[in-house]
Amino acid sequence: MNLYQPQLMRIEEIVDETPDTRTFKLTFKDRNVAAGFGFRAGQFGEYSVFGEGECTFCIASAPTRKDYIECSFKAAGKVTAALRRMSVGDTIGFRGPYGNSFPVDQMKGHSVVFIAGGIGLAPVRCVIWNVLDLRKEFKDVTIVYGARSVKDLVYKRELEEWGARKDVRLVQTVDPGGQTPDWKGEVGYVAAVVEKVAPRSRDAFAVVCGPPIVIKLALPVLAKLGFTDDRIYTTLENRMKCGLGKCGRCNIGPVYVCKDGPVFTAAELKELPPEF
Amino acid sequence: MKTKCISRADLAALVADLAAAGTEVVAPVKSRDGRALDYRRIGRLEEAALGEVALPRRSLKELFLPASEVLLRYRLEKDDVAIEEVPATFPPLVILGAKPCDAAGVEVLDKVMGWDYRDEPWFARRAATTIVSLACPGVDGVCFCSAVGLSPDATKGADVLLVPAEGGFVAEAITPRGEALLASKRFAEGEMPVEAQAARAAAKEKVARNLPAQPTGFHDWLGERFDHAAFKDIAQRCHGCGACASVCPTCHCFDIVDEPEGLDRGARRRNWDSCATCKFTLHASGHNPRATQNERFRQRVMHKFSIYPRRFGEVLCSGCGRCVRACPAGMDLPEILGQLFRDAGGAR
Repeated sequence: MNLYQPQLMRIEEIVDETPDTRTFKLTFKDRNVAAGFGFRAGQFGEYSVFGEGECTFCIASAPTRKDYIECSFKAAGKVTAALRRMSVGDTIGFRGPYGNSFPVDQMKGHSVVFIAGGIGLAPVRCVIWNVLDLRKEFKDVTIVYGARSVKDLVYKRELEEWGARKDVRLVQTVDPGGQTPDWKGEVGYVAAVVEKVAPRSRDAFAVVCGPPIVIKLALPVLAKLGFTDDRIYTTLENRMKCGLGKCGRCNIGPVYVCKDGPVFTAAELKELPPEF
Repeated sequence: MKTKCISRADLAALVADLAAAGTEVVAPVKSRDGRALDYRRIGRLEEAALGEVALPRRSLKELFLPASEVLLRYRLEKDDVAIEEVPATFPPLVILGAKPCDAAGVEVLDKVMGWDYRDEPWFARRAATTIVSLACPGVDGVCFCSAVGLSPDATKGADVLLVPAEGGFVAEAITPRGEALLASKRFAEGEMPVEAQAARAAAKEKVARNLPAQPTGFHDWLGERFDHAAFKDIAQRCHGCGACASVCPTCHCFDIVDEPEGLDRGARRRNWDSCATCKFTLHASGHNPRATQNERFRQRVMHKFSIYPRRFGEVLCSGCGRCVRACPAGMDLPEILGQLFRDAGGAR
């Protein structure tokens, strides 16, 4: 079997997160493959629709939840449009897991601040559930999540669940103008809300993901709050094809996102040329 | 390693032996109009055009990384998909009369194909192939192999190096696989006076004049020069067509696409791609990390002369000059390198 051959997965469940974002729950069709599969928070895979092609997404479910994986995607191109046409019971291909991961073990015994914008919550959600499934091993858990508008917030059921937990501080926000009359969360950009919420940086790690602008604006705010660059983690998405360090597409200067990443510290980001 | 001799007649007999044994032979062959060379399958030595100054139009790359290669086939069934594996077994192949720069390019690519994940189709083809290089008899105005550590008679990537001699060739085995080929009865012990020594020395001098050797520490120096003036006005010339990548012995970027072969079946292929094209890095969101042609051309230079050397210890270029000859816009890599080499040399 060559490196590029995917495993077959069955779509078990489909959740519409927003009008254009959908989540698949997937299980391996081959029991032996399922039994041998494992991954770490932050890793990604190549998902494929046969006849259409492959697409790169992070694994959005937590490694602590065995027997299935989840991915969330927006219909943006040929493959994601084809994925959107699929139904429960259909078969897709999966190669992975690839890439490095968030240092969840290193974060144990510390507080964790999660900051996400839009569909950037997908990779962060993987770490959130990883941490919450081992809740006792961590100190404070803070989640700041924002989207353009209320209808663009993903994982609404889980946001409700996290909001109801006493051991999680969840702050939701939407961009100005994106609120509805009954919106109870914040109104404002994610970075500004982080500044207002001001999570303690002492003994804490920050995990940030979102569109480039969210990361760019959140980093100086975190620095102001006292987070050092080696305690701030993010995950980058660059266009990829192989995921194996061969196809020459995802590099940012000397760094291959598929092999050296997709998880980077803010310190590592600052060393990169401006090509992401 | 071992050196033997082979006459032209014996080389023709060797080609016939190989063909009879089911080994494919590829050599430079004149195109139908006689004006260009291509690496093509031959049945008899007379079909080959050995010892021409000109390079074949495309490099040896496609014999190991085809322009379009089937990775797997799929068949859609009711509620299921059946995947058909493509066997990675290839018949034995001898490449006769490879240009030394092309042979070197293949060996350079072993690094990226083998790090961490091993690309089986690549290495299965490598294992089935014996590369017999022929010392380059001369160079044109854009060859620059000596600038990247090679020479017109470099042995890198070759299993056997042939040097023209009176009545035939002196054959030097470079690898055990080359020694195995030299074990054929067609090769003779003894010596043959090597011909045109002076011409080969002249070729070496000429190629060195096209572009001097890269200064030491160039890869690290370049890695810190994303803002160098050499990359500023590229977009005014480069069309972003990717011709340079397709003729390049070392450009290996590829795409993976599905191509239906009917309603219920098809193939997943990897196809050559190029960092020069505008959609190469385009995100689904519309964001493009390399938004202009300046950045895209810079990536090509950086990948070859900084990123790859720093990661794998090899320059991702064998100085063949094909990118210059193929470019419709007159982009001149050795000229740009000359500018960078001068600045890097002057900086220390």
